[in-house]
Amino acid sequence: MSILEVKNLHVEVEDTEKKVRKEILKGVNLTIKTGEIHAIMGPNGTGKSTLSETIMGNPHYYVTQGNILIDGESILKMTVDERARKGLFLAMQYPAEIQGVTNVEFLRAAINARRPKDKPVPVTDFLNDLDQNLNLLDMSESMTERYLNQGFSGGEKKRNEILQMLMIKPKFGVLDEIDSGLDIDALKVVSRGINAMRSSSFGALMITHYQRLLNYVVPDVVHVMMDGRIVKDGTSELAKKLEDEGYAGLRDELGLHIKLTDED
Amino acid sequence: MKSDRYQELKHASQLHQEPDWLTAQRLNAFDLIGQLKLPHMQRFAYENWPLTKQRNLVWQDSKEQMLDKQSTANLIQIGETKVQRKFDPRLDKKGVIFADLFAVLKSRPELIKNYLMKQVIKYEENKLTAYHMAYMNCGYVLYLPSNCVINKPIEVDLVQDCTNKNAWIPHILIIAEKGSQVKIVQHLKTIGNEPNTANMVMEVVAKANSHIEISSLEELNKNTLFYFNRRANIAENAHVEWAIGLMNNCDTVGDLDSELIGEGSYANSKAIAITSGKQKVGFNNRVTNRGLHTTGLINQRGVLLDSSKLIFDGIGQIVHGAHGSNADQKNRVLMMSDEAKGDANPLLLIDENDVIAAHAASVGPVDKMQMYYLMSRGISYAKAQRLVIRGFLGAVIDAIPAKNVRQNMIDILERKLIREQNKQH
Repeated sequence: MSILEVKNLHVEVEDTEKKVRKEILKGVNLTIKTGEIHAIMGPNGTGKSTLSETIMGNPHYYVTQGNILIDGESILKMTVDERARKGLFLAMQYPAEIQGVTNVEFLRAAINARRPKDKPVPVTDFLNDLDQNLNLLDMSESMTERYLNQGFSGGEKKRNEILQMLMIKPKFGVLDEIDSGLDIDALKVVSRGINAMRSSSFGALMITHYQRLLNYVVPDVVHVMMDGRIVKDGTSELAKKLEDEGYAGLRDELGLHIKLTDED
Repeated sequence: MKSDRYQELKHASQLHQEPDWLTAQRLNAFDLIGQLKLPHMQRFAYENWPLTKQRNLVWQDSKEQMLDKQSTANLIQIGETKVQRKFDPRLDKKGVIFADLFAVLKSRPELIKNYLMKQVIKYEENKLTAYHMAYMNCGYVLYLPSNCVINKPIEVDLVQDCTNKNAWIPHILIIAEKGSQVKIVQHLKTIGNEPNTANMVMEVVAKANSHIEISSLEELNKNTLFYFNRRANIAENAHVEWAIGLMNNCDTVGDLDSELIGEGSYANSKAIAITSGKQKVGFNNRVTNRGLHTTGLINQRGVLLDSSKLIFDGIGQIVHGAHGSNADQKNRVLMMSDEAKGDANPLLLIDENDVIAAHAASVGPVDKMQMYYLMSRGISYAKAQRLVIRGFLGAVIDAIPAKNVRQNMIDILERKLIREQNKQH
């Protein structure tokens, strides 16, 4: 079993226009074990994406306090690629497009990055695994010869993120709004991919605005984030309640004095 | 009283059993070397380069340099020696001419006489074209009769033999008669380490409605000094595409020209260059719209490493009278080091009103978001950097017709980048 721990995490981002830093995360605590699926919900602008990007090591985010650990080892000083090789995977909201590099070559490079230089993944093993995962995600084989995310639709990009996760087999998958921009059929396919990862050796943190995703990938724990902190933990029932009552309802119930971004 | 060098050249040409007109043309050109100026390059100083120093006209036999690896190329020349020709005999029967330049000089002398540095690139244009004409010592000819369509790309390997001291001066002549179509893939490389001049001239005659695609993968040795001049004269409704990959390790100065002469003619001139070490490369990519309703596109990408220098000028000219023409260019340069000096200058020279012209230029560092994305999958910084560079060059790599050649280009690129990355660590 592995553990991903976020301890009292404070994070700032720089406003590139004003050249000032602003605190987004104000003390986040979170523990995820392999075998568990966690969901973080919350209104816009509360720091959900900041949390996922900081875990991955996006250089735009500055940790000012606290720690992130995998199996007791701090990853804060690790580079992005080291964190990935430690078992982290971030399914991004806006995957980069790279012309000239095929999907299949990229996948092979990512897998081989985790293996000794002289022992690349055997081609037949790789292709069998790829076939199986393409099938699972209703993706055509031609996708693999296309350039990485180049000209992909929003839905294709999301599927491609999940395909990468299935191929790389990380210990922890952080899925940042994997449901955004998906129609109901695509959502079901993506959910099927995530559920296929469920095992005692995989843990996930799903970030979402909506409860809908959680009907297909039922989480073990639901966290609600507001204003840079986790304000409530619960089960999937909590997500359903939020869907009915909205975030403002929960805030008032908790007696928090927070202005929600999209509130007039 | 003519100089010894003049007499030597005359003698060498005669000894090579060249027709009188060619000997005379070489000698005329010889006389001009001292009188003409170097071709003009903006902000690129190369006056001190010894580009016309090597003055021997000799034909070395390089057969024994035959590379052990089997190449699939249709034509292989090493130095001045033809070592392989594999060509579909049905195309020979159709009247296609595809052979070593001096072989065609014997079999079809009038063809060479008619074109050789007289119509597309004239030897009296500058010091380096004159030098080329005087000392040209290898090359090939491809002639396509009217309406002849060749679907499979023709591959040519031109290997500079630097196991000895000898200038390498290949001349390439491509003549596409009306309605013909062809794709050509050239691969330039060097064996040996002797410092030598390379001076390559490529003349392309694209007659009405012809369609020619030329790609070139180049990896000449760092001890070489390289000048090239490639030009296409493009007649009405003819279509020429270039995809030039300058991955050489040598100091280079060159011109790539597309002359849109006929109405409705089209040129798409794509080029990439990667410079490293202390390498200096100056390169003009010029498309000139002369005819009515012509379209000229330039798309070039440069990657600079170490303290190299790359001046990458895109010159789009619409001359007076070229009504309804279109010129567009994109120049981008990626700086991988603070010590590198690079410029991608778009120059648009417009002498007509009812035309569309656009340009874009940028000089910048590696795309950080692409780097982050790749590294978030566990890929190392160095590998991610190579993939991002390849992505940056994708537009040109994509233009290469055959998959195996594209892969070859990627392999050459990887080799060059890995070599540079290893030097830095």
